[in-house]
Amino acid sequence: MEELRYILGGPQGGGLETTSEVLSWSFAKSGYGILSDREYFSNIKGRHSYVHATVSGTAIPFHLSYPVNLVGAMDAETVFTHFQEIDKGGYLIYNKDEDNAKFDSIPSIETELKMRLNEFFKANGIGRTLGELAVYLAEKRQINVVALGYSSLLRELQQEASVIAAQASRYVSSILIGSIASLVGLDSSSLAFGLERRFRSGEMLEHNKIFSKIIARHIQTFSYKRPNLGKSSLNRGKMVVASGNDFVAMAKLVGGVRFQSYYPITPAADESFTLEKYEKVGGDHDLIVVFQTEDEIAAVTSAIGASLTGARSASATSGPGFDLMTEGLGWAGINEAPILVTYYQRGGPSTGQPTRGSQSDLLSSVFASHGEFPRIVLSSGDHSEAFWDTIDALNFAEMFQTPVIHLVDKFLANSIASTPMPDVSKIQVQRGSLVKKVGDEYHRFDFSSSVSPRAFIGDERMWYTGDEHNEIGHIDEDSENRIKMMTKRMDKMNLIEKNIPEERRYALYGDKDPEIVLLGWGFIKGVAIKALEQLRNEGIKASYFHIRTFVPFPNESVVSIFRNVGPERVVDVECNYEGQAGVLVRLNTGYQLKKRIVKFTGRPIYLNELVEATKRILSGSSQEVLSLGA
Amino acid sequence: MEPKQLTAADYRTDVWNDWCPGCGNFGIVAAMYQALAEMKADPAETVVISGIGCSGKTAHFVNTTGVHTLHGRSLPFAQGIKLSNPALNVLINAGDGDLLGIGLGHFVALGRRNVDLVVMMHDNTVYALTKGQAAPTLHRGEKPKALNEPNIQDSVNPIALAVTSGYTFVARSYSSRINHLKETIKQAVRHKGSAFIDILQPCVTFDDIHTYDYYNKRVYELKADDWNPIVKDENEIQQKMMQAIAKSFEVDDRIPLGVFYENPLTPTFEERLSEKLPSYLGTPPSREKIEKNGKTIVDGDKFVEIFSQFIVEY
Repeated sequence: MEELRYILGGPQGGGLETTSEVLSWSFAKSGYGILSDREYFSNIKGRHSYVHATVSGTAIPFHLSYPVNLVGAMDAETVFTHFQEIDKGGYLIYNKDEDNAKFDSIPSIETELKMRLNEFFKANGIGRTLGELAVYLAEKRQINVVALGYSSLLRELQQEASVIAAQASRYVSSILIGSIASLVGLDSSSLAFGLERRFRSGEMLEHNKIFSKIIARHIQTFSYKRPNLGKSSLNRGKMVVASGNDFVAMAKLVGGVRFQSYYPITPAADESFTLEKYEKVGGDHDLIVVFQTEDEIAAVTSAIGASLTGARSASATSGPGFDLMTEGLGWAGINEAPILVTYYQRGGPSTGQPTRGSQSDLLSSVFASHGEFPRIVLSSGDHSEAFWDTIDALNFAEMFQTPVIHLVDKFLANSIASTPMPDVSKIQVQRGSLVKKVGDEYHRFDFSSSVSPRAFIGDERMWYTGDEHNEIGHIDEDSENRIKMMTKRMDKMNLIEKNIPEERRYALYGDKDPEIVLLGWGFIKGVAIKALEQLRNEGIKASYFHIRTFVPFPNESVVSIFRNVGPERVVDVECNYEGQAGVLVRLNTGYQLKKRIVKFTGRPIYLNELVEATKRILSGSSQEVLSLGA
Repeated sequence: MEPKQLTAADYRTDVWNDWCPGCGNFGIVAAMYQALAEMKADPAETVVISGIGCSGKTAHFVNTTGVHTLHGRSLPFAQGIKLSNPALNVLINAGDGDLLGIGLGHFVALGRRNVDLVVMMHDNTVYALTKGQAAPTLHRGEKPKALNEPNIQDSVNPIALAVTSGYTFVARSYSSRINHLKETIKQAVRHKGSAFIDILQPCVTFDDIHTYDYYNKRVYELKADDWNPIVKDENEIQQKMMQAIAKSFEVDDRIPLGVFYENPLTPTFEERLSEKLPSYLGTPPSREKIEKNGKTIVDGDKFVEIFSQFIVEY
């Protein structure tokens, strides 16, 4: 098989994240590329969460798709939630001890799913129990059901590794690690590598190693044909295996951020957590202060304060937190303070879908805060882009002395990907126009340039104010001064237009002479590029126009796409309701996107549904609303 | 070259001061000019940070670095500045509405951290710049002239709140007693940790209750012979706090001025940071070198070393 797709499900807090990490590291170690997404509720313990992954030995995957080849279930709820997603000939690993469990007595299953299950079970004449469902799947759906008795497996572990009974339940998630490793034939040294990376040393590591052997013995008793991934043909070398949050954190450290402030919010907080872990960046001397504030207002304003002293500073947040930051953003704008806000988009409005993904904060980031001031808005399409965009964002903030908003969606933030190690020797640190030792004549907002030479607080005496001000930084409401100062600031947009070249603002993939162009941004990149491949295999010439910066906007290239292929053949693909990038396309170029594929369930766009939707658009549909994913 | 000794007048900018004639704020800046001159404050290393309102303009009237921030947000701006460059001397001037109304969350959070800076609260009981609405320091039942009806919200007790929030230097002064205020500012600057000064300050335009006459009749200075606010031993913290809080309820006939609570023992936030980051005070974030000839200081080998947890070699 070209790629292995699996879902691992279980109760939140049950060790699923660990399972996903171990498998990701193990697959990466044995040479495969992996993308592993995490879907979860806003909950600490008990609600259904799952990992959805693609593993490939032919290309580094940046897409997810249905159906999957394997579902590994820690509990009955996982089977009831995901059994329809398993491909014919696929595998279901589940706990047969729960065969008597009925879906309608599982309290964490939401009412709507219970109703859908009820209909399905009735229509197919299945009883309501897990055991009967498993029989149905094996007989009617040709699914290889790997029924394991989890409690007896844990008893074996207790005997062989002298684990005490009370602690055995900690190893339920390890059953999935062992089963998948054994079914797929993951080599034992790669599995050991994954386990060692997660558990370091000590008894948890030893127990897991013993347990994976016990599980392998049981898996051997099933005679099913094994999924065959084949040998990896990917290049050897150093890979970074990490989440989007972690990629951004690494880039901030390497890019020189020395002050990061934040208030805990999903899905942004993991980034600051990682930064805290690495607060001693380079041993004894280099450091980063990670400042947990009382709210996002304090997060952004303290970061701005730090920026005035010369520290590269940043914050990370998500929708509700960004809303609180908007007044501070305007202060940074009028005071020409470099600041980076990494904006992790989740489902809104209000609390919305706090743990699900979206791309619905684009317009908010472009228009946030009252009044007019220059800004830059970048957006990342995959882990590597997230890394390099962070580096660029830090440079842009200082080069243009203005706030930069970096959009990342939750799909990217919370998925683990394997990416070739970035060539850090290519990282440039551009601090823009700086001065020192000017003395009493220093004027922070000198009219000599729209980017006035910047001195740091502590080196010179200077004034800042959120009021309109003169060159010195004192309040000034004179009309002539207002015109000069507004023009000086706003003129930065021209500088930005000039200095961020068109080719930095977008990327175009696929056929040079397409019948259809998908236009998207953010994490849609990976699935869209893969969709082009599938469409091409079906004889459809398609391309993907990927927007990387919204301010400045890739006007010329968007216009040329519309001119070359015609407005009827450009399709807006976004994870929001309104088609927000489409709104900006129209605002910036006058062209209206007449076709769109949107999804706003909080789940990512999957390969199969994107391909199908594109074909429906080609057959005349003008709008497709996607819905796949539990 | 020895820098020339600056006088109080040198700490005044030539920005025209547009406070109402007779405003209590004039006393506050006068005391600051004198205190800064006596402390020989370096104008480039001294930062006056303000919020919004009449007090907000203070940053423009003092000839040191000035940062005039947002309504309610002077404290987090100040902490970002101070924590990135702990060598700076940071003085915040903000109103009672600013600190205890819109910015109250920040006020409490600063106390929990004990960052080494000075908060000077311009306490005039009204939102003056918007024409005299009730501030959080105005007592219930009072009706300064701008209000249509007596105030029906209770007031905050700033001293008690500062003490319980964790400020380690809590004092009150009065804008008319410039010498007392000047000395209090100097003490607050010398104190290591978050210092709070509640500065009674008549608003001559909108508050016809808390006038100079009102305060002149009531204020008295706490004297060392029967008042000791200083914590000498950690066991004393609770007792000294209780004593300060009890004293803070004297507000009607006699209003005490002076230091209510002083605790030099609690570590500052900067000390807490340098405990885990030993190089912090020597090379704080603002002084870190992050590039070498335009390149990051983290090269490929160092990247692999730092982030080994994320790297998998195949």
